[in-house]
Amino acid sequence: MSMQQEKLHDLTDDMFQPANIDDSENELIAGESTGFWKDAWRRLKKNPGAIIGLVIIFVITFLAIFGPYMNEHDYRTQELTRAKLPAKVPVLENFDFLGVNGVDIRGVDQYEAKGYEDEYFWFGTDEFGRDQWTRVWQGTRISLFIAAAAAFIDFVIGVAYGGISAYYGGRVDNVLQRIIEVLVGIPNLILIILAILIFEPGIFSIIVALSLTGWVGMSRIVRGQVLKLKTQEFVLASRTLGATSGRVIGKHLIPNVLGQIIITTMFTIPGAIFFEAFLSFIGLGIRPPEASLGSIINNGFSSLQIYPHLVLWPSIIISLIMIAFNLVGDGLRDAFDPKLRK
Amino acid sequence: MGRYIGGRVVSMVITFLIIASLTFFLMKLLPGTPFNNQEKLSDAQIVQLNEKYGLNDPVAVQYFTYMTNLFKGDLGVSFQQDGRQVSTIIGERIGPSAYLGFQSLVVGTILGLVLGIVAALRHNSIWDYGTMVVAVLGISIPSFVIAGLMQYWFGVKWQLLPVAYWDGFAYTIMPTIAIASIVVATIARFMRTEMLEVLGQDYIVTAKAKGLSSTAVVIRHTIRNASIPIITIMGPLVVGLMTGTLVIERIFVIPGLGEKFVNSILTNDFPIIMGTTLFFSFLFILVILLVDILYGIVDPRIRLAGGKE
Repeated sequence: MSMQQEKLHDLTDDMFQPANIDDSENELIAGESTGFWKDAWRRLKKNPGAIIGLVIIFVITFLAIFGPYMNEHDYRTQELTRAKLPAKVPVLENFDFLGVNGVDIRGVDQYEAKGYEDEYFWFGTDEFGRDQWTRVWQGTRISLFIAAAAAFIDFVIGVAYGGISAYYGGRVDNVLQRIIEVLVGIPNLILIILAILIFEPGIFSIIVALSLTGWVGMSRIVRGQVLKLKTQEFVLASRTLGATSGRVIGKHLIPNVLGQIIITTMFTIPGAIFFEAFLSFIGLGIRPPEASLGSIINNGFSSLQIYPHLVLWPSIIISLIMIAFNLVGDGLRDAFDPKLRK
Repeated sequence: MGRYIGGRVVSMVITFLIIASLTFFLMKLLPGTPFNNQEKLSDAQIVQLNEKYGLNDPVAVQYFTYMTNLFKGDLGVSFQQDGRQVSTIIGERIGPSAYLGFQSLVVGTILGLVLGIVAALRHNSIWDYGTMVVAVLGISIPSFVIAGLMQYWFGVKWQLLPVAYWDGFAYTIMPTIAIASIVVATIARFMRTEMLEVLGQDYIVTAKAKGLSSTAVVIRHTIRNASIPIITIMGPLVVGLMTGTLVIERIFVIPGLGEKFVNSILTNDFPIIMGTTLFFSFLFILVILLVDILYGIVDPRIRLAGGKE
């Protein structure tokens, strides 16, 4: 108590200023106004999971683009004399416990045994002596490309389909929704496999197959949101002021649905990566010498017992990608709609 | 309720017919030959084989035969296994798949429910964060990656469990964990959210206010109400399990239906692909229907809304 009183004595008159009684000054907005996006970004920054996810996505994308050029090997040169070499990294090779010194699990230095003392394969080599580092990042690039392309197609078709269905309503909505009901009734895995069988396996056919049913989820979310929004007062106000359909959709509906669309896309990408890996894994995906993460893991499985490094790295990378996108998706969902946060 | 179920069954039959027709025509479009070792067969033999399996008939006739046989429960014969019945092949392959799927579903659901409940009751504790980490990992890491890592560490390195094949309970442990991981993750996450939602409801406050013990509140009011929506995600989960079994059976060399399906795709054995596709689709539609009906029984609001149609 006495402490507080002492403190009060320290307050002198010259520390105070008369309050401003001018109304116009009182009403001034001191800080910068916070828009929807700024607010979302501020919340996202506070979410450690989402930031970690963003960093992982950034690093992996960087390596997927530039990784294959970081050493002198390419992804398709086969050299059977150097097949299945373990990993060996300059400098780090001196620390035995890291397991990147070119010694295999039997304790033999394979680089010395096969006469490649001066070469370095950072992730080792595969069963045909191709550089695993280059192949893994090449594969990551293809996996990411397929996922991004599939997500983009889902986005375009889903937003258009859902938007039209909800905006025009009535008979249009009815017909479009019946079509979706039939599509949803067919297990998407089976539809995807059948589609791949018809188009020859390859990047293009995987993207098409993934997009066949992928857009349904997006269209449903957009339809639900637009149905909710189009009856709200601000849309009515805009119409009353004479706005055209195009303006209502472009200026009022889409910006308000955009948050949901971004979240859905964030969850579409890991889904597409998983399905691509799954298809490559059962032998319906990318054809050699091209590689995707799924096909590299699949190839590695045949020699898992002796050369686990062939499976380990691509497995870690695909898991990291999936975790990162899920974390960012969760973070964005919380950031765009804090009410949902649990 | 009767009318609701009736309507759903009719739409299920229509969906199934569409899938059957779609599968048939897609099969006709497929590139490649259905016969093993085509290059070793003489032209006369190929003509004979085409004749034997009715592949020379006009497509319309083939379609008609196929659909009538389908109604009689006849899925045709395999081109590659000396004309064995597809339904027989499915019959002998379904055992391991069904066992594995069921075991994964039960283990995964129970574990997921327990984790979700504990996480919600100890909200913002180490249990909660632990569960969320498990959930994100389980949803993110593909089942074949989990399977591969387990195979290496538990099977090869430490030799705790058999690496592959199908020969008793020990052989089911690793495949079950690999398939169940996504079930545990999905259910734990969903249950946690639902529990937190229910815990904030007024009727929980009422239950506490009238002097119920906290155990009774948790068991009778919270868990019961929170588990109703779980039924809605069971449909997609079971379908996801089917996807999981395809790869997992391949990795662990389990003689199940999924492994057969993948092999028949790689060898162009059309009748088996068609038969298995239809079988999977049928299961899928049936599961969705059962889930909807079950949900209607548990939650009267759904039943009433459905009955009005």
